[in-house]
Amino acid sequence: MNNKRKNIITTFIFSFLLLCISVLCIVKPAEVFSESERRELASFPNFSVSTFASGEFAQNFETYATERFPYRDMFRSVKAWFSKTVFKKLDNNGLFVAEGHISKLDSEENPQMMDHAAERFAYLYNTYMKDKNTNVYFSVIPDKNFLLASPNGYPSLDYRAFTEKIKEKTSYMTYIDVTDLLGLEDYYTTDSHWRQEKIIDIAEKIGTAMGVDVSAAYKENKLDYPFYGVYAGQLALPTKSDEIVYLTNDTLDACCVTYYDTGIGKEGLLYNMEKAYGKDPYEMFLSGTTPLVTIENPNAKTDKELVIFRDSFGSSLAPLLAEGYAKITVVDIRYVQSAFVGNLVEFENCDVLFVYSTSLLNNSLAMR
Amino acid sequence: MVFSGIPFLYYFLPCVILVYLAVPKRLKNTVLLLFSLLFYAWGEPKYVFLMMATIAINYGLALLIEKCKGKPLSKLFMIVATVINLGFLGYFKYADFFIANFNRVTGLSAPLLHVVLPIGISFYTFQTLSYVIDVYRSNTHAQKNPITLATYVVLFPQLIAGPIVRYVDVERELTNREHSFEKVSQGIRRFIVGLSKKVLLANTLGEFCTAFLAAGDKSVLFYWLYVFAYMLQVYFDFSGYSDMAIGLGKIFAFDFLENFNYPFISKSISEFWRRWHMSLGSWFRDYVYIPMGGNRVRRGRMLFNIFTVWFLTGFWHGAEWNFIVWGLYFGVLLALEKFFFGKTLERFKTIGHIYVLFFVAISFAIFGAGSMTEAISHVGGMFGAGGLPMVSEGFWYYLKSYGVVMIIAILAATPLPKLLLEKCRKNKTVSAVWDVLEIPLLVCLLLLATAYLADGAFNPFLYFRF
Repeated sequence: MNNKRKNIITTFIFSFLLLCISVLCIVKPAEVFSESERRELASFPNFSVSTFASGEFAQNFETYATERFPYRDMFRSVKAWFSKTVFKKLDNNGLFVAEGHISKLDSEENPQMMDHAAERFAYLYNTYMKDKNTNVYFSVIPDKNFLLASPNGYPSLDYRAFTEKIKEKTSYMTYIDVTDLLGLEDYYTTDSHWRQEKIIDIAEKIGTAMGVDVSAAYKENKLDYPFYGVYAGQLALPTKSDEIVYLTNDTLDACCVTYYDTGIGKEGLLYNMEKAYGKDPYEMFLSGTTPLVTIENPNAKTDKELVIFRDSFGSSLAPLLAEGYAKITVVDIRYVQSAFVGNLVEFENCDVLFVYSTSLLNNSLAMR
Repeated sequence: MVFSGIPFLYYFLPCVILVYLAVPKRLKNTVLLLFSLLFYAWGEPKYVFLMMATIAINYGLALLIEKCKGKPLSKLFMIVATVINLGFLGYFKYADFFIANFNRVTGLSAPLLHVVLPIGISFYTFQTLSYVIDVYRSNTHAQKNPITLATYVVLFPQLIAGPIVRYVDVERELTNREHSFEKVSQGIRRFIVGLSKKVLLANTLGEFCTAFLAAGDKSVLFYWLYVFAYMLQVYFDFSGYSDMAIGLGKIFAFDFLENFNYPFISKSISEFWRRWHMSLGSWFRDYVYIPMGGNRVRRGRMLFNIFTVWFLTGFWHGAEWNFIVWGLYFGVLLALEKFFFGKTLERFKTIGHIYVLFFVAISFAIFGAGSMTEAISHVGGMFGAGGLPMVSEGFWYYLKSYGVVMIIAILAATPLPKLLLEKCRKNKTVSAVWDVLEIPLLVCLLLLATAYLADGAFNPFLYFRF
């Protein structure tokens, strides 16, 4: 090809390409909600003289232009593929695949966050439990990197040291170690959470430690909908779906579940089927992000009550403890301030269980 | 606005090209000026007024310098222009540094000004300085058309990250430039190569550098891996920006001088600085070192000249002590080469390469630190200070994860790929295949860089301190 012709072709191809993408950016921005990343994407920013002069418009426009780039999911996949295949990078945006599981690199201990979590626990204990007749228990759930990262050559948190440190800071609670019962198969392959159908033994161990028999037979119900966990979309590479199984039995069916999203109780179900087919199916367990839920078991053999302070791992665990208690109150202090908990929960003669994952304890800023 | 962003690539650039093509020749500079002001105002509009004030002052003073040529007033106007330009730079970039150090020395607590540094001020100040000094030296005429001068100062391709383009080098093109498919096509190639260097290589290496700084399990080898990755990151970031600037310049029919020439293949530090940020090195040579007497003075004076230039070079890069130490560190090495072992290095080339990489690596450990304390900690880490272990888990992981990128980056930092391509193209068949493949390859690179940007992957802007 002679140079003159090649120069003309180069110029026209790139002008055309630039123009086409530019027009697409304007007429076909990506959807407002990213299914793969499970988040709202930026909207076109408000323009005014003051937002432009302050630089706010420019900053927000850059976010908008990047997040709403046409066919962004496809471009994200191309990037992830190139990074993995050509650059041979072992992780993409901090996510890695090992032993069929997707997980997130989270190897740095954050002492300030751990202190914050411990301080919140101490506040709850000193304010509501110290002078009451309560038995307080604590269990740390390691994320799946505990079993996955180090054996596969990925940097890993020192989980044992981490747990020892948080135990030291919460020595007023009885610690229940569940790590010996955890295997990789207990976690979803595309999500950070554990599988409800795999943690019956863990629930039993916790129950036994609290002096309660929670053992029961359950029926396994499979959700007829492929479950792509939070990591699947973030990884941006083709992945096999998971399957959500939720457990039921006569006790659970008879339970009365009340949600206190606004302080006023509203009856609901243990398993929210609307959420099961929503953006994050794991939210079907106790409706996901809820500040306070009560589970009342009319068939309970005792009148014992349990208060659980938990993160999302506790959502699937709490129903499995229902067998041994007349009432379980499940509290998430990310969505209700610790100072208000006393207005909603009675602690006299209760068992109290703090059950938190290492990832939340290491990133506990949301605890209020 | 930065070149390596979606707003620039797919909103700003198509607009400026379309409008530029649509207007007649006499309005092309005005279009470039207006779009350049928008480019600069994006995110930081208030400093457009500073920029315009700088242009107006230099425009007027240059005319006065020329008008008073041969008279003492000419020199006075040149001095006034220099003081004003450096005054702006001093206030916006260095005021808090001086106040903080004054407080440290006196024990007082004068309040800091917390002035936000206008992006690119170090680059455009040096450009305007070169302009007035060149008018004073009669190397060029004062520009009578304020739009032409303003276009030179704010021309967006080189505005925020260089190269430092001198007025004399683009004077003819500012008034009469010839557009051609050849130039545009060269510009497109260069721009895409630069964008790929920045987005694919520099940003990926930058990801590692950020991860290293946050990592808890540091070790000696981990420090060395970081320092080499950081060297490569800065090189590909900076040379990538320069390539994009040169490419954009060509699209608009400007020829900017080269800014990098494979610096890591140097055999001495003097050679390294002839290949690294060449526009800055030559600026200091022509406007500071030679006017001070350069090499043609006594040994003591020459040493003083060298250290003055390298003190200023370091200080130009940032208002922190680590940058000053970084500059003086090179001053020491250059003085040693000049007076002691420069000739030896020429004879033992392999030793020269190792020597350059070793000392440049240490320099980047200083350069990449946020303060002098951090710089000492980084350099100490490279030599196991504080009983640091030789290796750690993190080192092995990041070596495996970033090893391929680093190998690609090392190869791309040498002229080998270019030489190989040139050699292969001597074969007619290969040349024909290359002719066919080059355009699809460039399209792929552009789309791949776009994919990285659309993913919102790590994309730092390193020049906020300059």
